[in-house]
Formats: sequence, structure tokens, C-alpha cells
Amino acid sequence: MSKYAFLFIDDGVDYQGSPTPEQQKVYADIFKWFETNGSKITDGGAELQPTRTATTIRKGTGKVIVVDGPFIEAKESVGGFSIFELPDKAAAVALAKTWPGYGIEIRPIVEGEGR
Amino acid sequence: MPQYVLMLLEDESWEKQSKDEMKRAYAAINAWVDDLKKKGLMKGGEELQSKRTATTVRRNNGAVSVTEGPFIESKEHVGGFMMIEVPDLDAAIAIAKSWPGGDVEVRPIVVH
Repeated sequence: MSKYAFLFIDDGVDYQGSPTPEQQKVYADIFKWFETNGSKITDGGAELQPTRTATTIRKGTGKVIVVDGPFIEAKESVGGFSIFELPDKAAAVALAKTWPGYGIEIRPIVEGEGR
Repeated sequence: MPQYVLMLLEDESWEKQSKDEMKRAYAAINAWVDDLKKKGLMKGGEELQSKRTATTVRRNNGAVSVTEGPFIESKEHVGGFMMIEVPDLDAAIAIAKSWPGGDVEVRPIVVH
């Protein structure tokens, strides 16, 4: 078994305001998905607040700068993550395909001492 | 207390480090993590494998696509996460500033 991080991709649509019936259904399906697949989660991870709440700390030139906003401005962003324990990458892709939301980036986790 | 995620960013310079540099970087990171754990502020974290190992699954109009690579191609990408519990955003920023690695994006967590 290996651990995989699922980075849930936020498609930039604001669901916090007044969700349409379709969005409400997606939310309900996501809730069910977590119920169905919860036993495979080793670290619950977190749902992140929208990118407008992000703060980025830049250290490039020796001087530390704090800026409002995400590290990259794009339509898609990381909306949350969970860690799953699965047999292999094929199983991770198969599970990600059943995600009722918009998308997932799958990344294996570094286990043990660093890379 | 509110929780925040620190998205630990990295660019290609991280993997270009020599073995000795990498060892020193990890020693600094481990000391930093141990310190936060001692203070009871650390709520978990994971290091992700290189972005070359990423696979992205997307749903567009009902059709599911699977592509190799991260969801966004950019100079920087997410190399790991830390979850911390601190009184406020200022405290989270102070911890992010002390991170011995590169740039950090701080995001509050949704509380259900």
C-alpha cells in the first residue's frame, strides 16, 4: 500500500454564496463520496477557504515579503486535500475518477526520511 | 483556535541541490517541525513527491480526463503541506516566515 495526496482542485466558481440546486447536488454527492471512501483516508486533510483569503510569504531575495493572494493567480487553485492509502497509482486514478467535484491532482507522498 | 494550512512551495532549485545541501535543508526543516510539535502548534503535514509524479483527473461536462503532470504548470508548485493551529492569521504568517524552506502560501481552513 502507498499513500497518495489528493489535491482537490477548485474551479474558481464561488460555492459559498448562494449555490444553485446543481451545486447543492454536487456538494451532497461529495459528502457521500467521503462517507463511502472514508476508510481509505489516513489523514483527513483540510478544506481550504477560497484563494481570496490567501496570504503568500516570499523569501526570494533574502528579504521576506508578505503579499495578499495565492502564490499563483489562475482559474484553478488548490481547494483542499486528503491523504489516501491505496494499493497503487492505478487505484488512485480509478478513485479520483469517481470524485463528484471538478478535479483532483494525485501526488504520491514521501514516506520515511525525506526524498 | 483557528487552523491554517501552510502550502510549502518549491521550484526547480530544490531538486538541483547537492546531496550535502539537501541534507542540511532537511536537518533545518526537521528541527523546525520538532520545535512546532513541542509547542503543540503542529496538526499534521505531508511532503509530496516531485511534481513529475503528478497525475491530474478532471471532469468537464460529464467527461473525465486523466493527464500526466500537475493541474497547473508554473515555476512554483506545492511541495508539501503543514497544518497548524494558532490564534490568528498574524501568528500563522509569523510561523510561515520562520519556515526554513522557500515561499509559503497560508490559507485558513473551512470549519464545518
